[in-house]
Amino acid sequence: MKSALRISAVTIACLFAGAANAAPPAAFGACGACHSLDGATGLGPTLKGVYGRKSGSLKGFAFSPAMKKAGVTWDDKSLDGFLADPQKALPGNVMPFPGVSDAKQRAEIIDFLKTAK
Amino acid sequence: MATKLPKKTVVFVGGGLTTGLAARQLTAKGIEVLVLERGGDHRGAPENRLPSQRDELRWGIHNKLVQDWAVETYSLRHSRKDPSLPVRRMEAFLPGQGMGGAADHWNGQTWRWSEYDPTLRTRLETRYGKKAIPADMPIQDWGVTYAETEPYHDLFEKLFGISGKAGNIKGVIQPGGNPFEAPRANEYPQPPLEMTEAGVIFAAAAEKLGYKPFPMAAGNSPNAYTNPDGMKLAPCQYCGHCERFICEANAKSSPQVLLYPMLLQRKGFELRLYSHVLGLNYDRKARRVTGVRYLDLQTAEEYEQPADVVVVAAFPMTSTRLLLQARIGEPYDPATGKGVVGKNFCYQVMSHTPAFYKDRWLNPFMASGSSQTVIDEFNGDNFDHKGLGFFGGGYIYANVTNGRPIASRLVPPGTPRWGTKWKQANADWYAHSFQYSVHGSNYPHRENYLDLDPTYRDAYGQPLLRMTYNFRDNDFKMSEYATKKAHEIALASGATLVSPPQPRRGDFDARQYQTTHVTGGTIMGADPKTSVVSPHLQHWDAQNLFVVGASAYPHNSGYNPTGPLSALALRLGDDLVSYTQRERKL
Repeated sequence: MKSALRISAVTIACLFAGAANAAPPAAFGACGACHSLDGATGLGPTLKGVYGRKSGSLKGFAFSPAMKKAGVTWDDKSLDGFLADPQKALPGNVMPFPGVSDAKQRAEIIDFLKTAK
Repeated sequence: MATKLPKKTVVFVGGGLTTGLAARQLTAKGIEVLVLERGGDHRGAPENRLPSQRDELRWGIHNKLVQDWAVETYSLRHSRKDPSLPVRRMEAFLPGQGMGGAADHWNGQTWRWSEYDPTLRTRLETRYGKKAIPADMPIQDWGVTYAETEPYHDLFEKLFGISGKAGNIKGVIQPGGNPFEAPRANEYPQPPLEMTEAGVIFAAAAEKLGYKPFPMAAGNSPNAYTNPDGMKLAPCQYCGHCERFICEANAKSSPQVLLYPMLLQRKGFELRLYSHVLGLNYDRKARRVTGVRYLDLQTAEEYEQPADVVVVAAFPMTSTRLLLQARIGEPYDPATGKGVVGKNFCYQVMSHTPAFYKDRWLNPFMASGSSQTVIDEFNGDNFDHKGLGFFGGGYIYANVTNGRPIASRLVPPGTPRWGTKWKQANADWYAHSFQYSVHGSNYPHRENYLDLDPTYRDAYGQPLLRMTYNFRDNDFKMSEYATKKAHEIALASGATLVSPPQPRRGDFDARQYQTTHVTGGTIMGADPKTSVVSPHLQHWDAQNLFVVGASAYPHNSGYNPTGPLSALALRLGDDLVSYTQRERKL
């Protein structure tokens, strides 16, 4: 049953309309179902401009108390820790996602988020 | 006193799955669509967000996402001789409410029915003789073949990102899939979900007995997925909150994720929420509907909405009730067998065999609504019924969809119902047990039908729909047979303890959930004398009225109903594109 929670490799390349310059990496597919890149609020907050933003600060989205209190600024290090294991990095946050175990995939996602302006 | 509104081209009653699919086809061709939905929008609401999404008491036990029984319920009697009484709190099946309908709170279990299901009467008569089907079992062919609907099944599976393993591609049996599957053009768009520990145990035991286990096809996304419309699913987290819940991870294939957000962007599409349809306006002379009447639940204003075409696409109960109230088509009369509206009302015949494994960790809380392992050997007419005295059957599966703490409590037979010993048994067996279940068919019976209750009314003063329904000999015999097969698999699995088989017995009980699969009431067919709608779902007595959904099924098979009704809805969408260009009998 351990393998039940393994995140399978993402195989679908997604094209996003919006402000991002680069094409998203394959691993971003799991993010894109809930997070927009064009400023629209979905099930999760938009990732437009997330790099360099303070956690839980985006107006118009109802963040969890854990996210609001975290006081993290999203940079390479904090994003890497959060993406690796969201519950470990910010206990009590409500993003239903166990994390991306592959460090290379995380780096690709973070590089891409830098372009999402 | 109703305010008359400007006419619309196609008006849908009910904003659920079938409407979303048919409207997709229509709006793609620029045809104007208006949807009237009695409920609201679940997106971003407490049922769609953590931590409130996990509130088992609110959504799973109090059923806060389904029809409000204080506003509208059904009345029930077991036979025509009994008085009917309103069901105060319906638990047996759970009609949806809100944009997306019941397909937002479904488990995701997706089946194409057998190739022979749409021609079941022909199949049984050919195999067992002209006189084999009992006179009180009004099975009939649907007037459509599986082959005609195959491309629409294929499209539906792609739109909903269905995960699974094909068992029959273009007639070639595929290892690892269902060998009884109707032939398909393509493999499933997504690979199967992870197998649960219960599935591992089940598969080994089933194989030992010579059966062919396979993963159930699922509307729970194993991976990130983008459908042909560009709509996205996220990977399933196996959290065990599917059925009765709205997925908080966008991982369940639902109309509110995959259809309505796209439709709402399309030109010519309008959705009016909190709009409760009171009735259909029928011009008896012209044999046409002119529109619908509805109540705006936020203002209590009544409106008349004229339409060129009306599609009734509500839950089967509501669709049937609207036709009966408007007196479109002849109501079914079980005394004579004549009439059609309300006929062939069917439900489901579930049964279980709990098994207990001291040394295996089942961890039922890690599951999705469809991460199940199944065999199909004893379903429908997949086995020889000669001499058995019944028709139909069911699939048998390792039934683990969740381990939610209030409702998921299997304890060995003989355990006290309360107290220290009961608590200890819960602690001992919670993570070490699961059920071998039979998802059994329910073939029509002459005395099982729907009509309008002569006494009881809903909150708006309209007559309740009355169910005259009970399980019949065919159901009991089928259940006895199939449950024994499930029990044999459990016995072969090396379990510490296997409960005696629990086939379906006794009267239908509205307090007991089995499935939300009610079918019939507005059945389809090629003969107007025995069907409400044509093979194209066009009403025989009102050319511009169409009825879509499981209410069109002349029988209920042992499969979940979502596949065929979705295929029929997509086909209806294409039919309506043609019909709005040139009105005619399709």
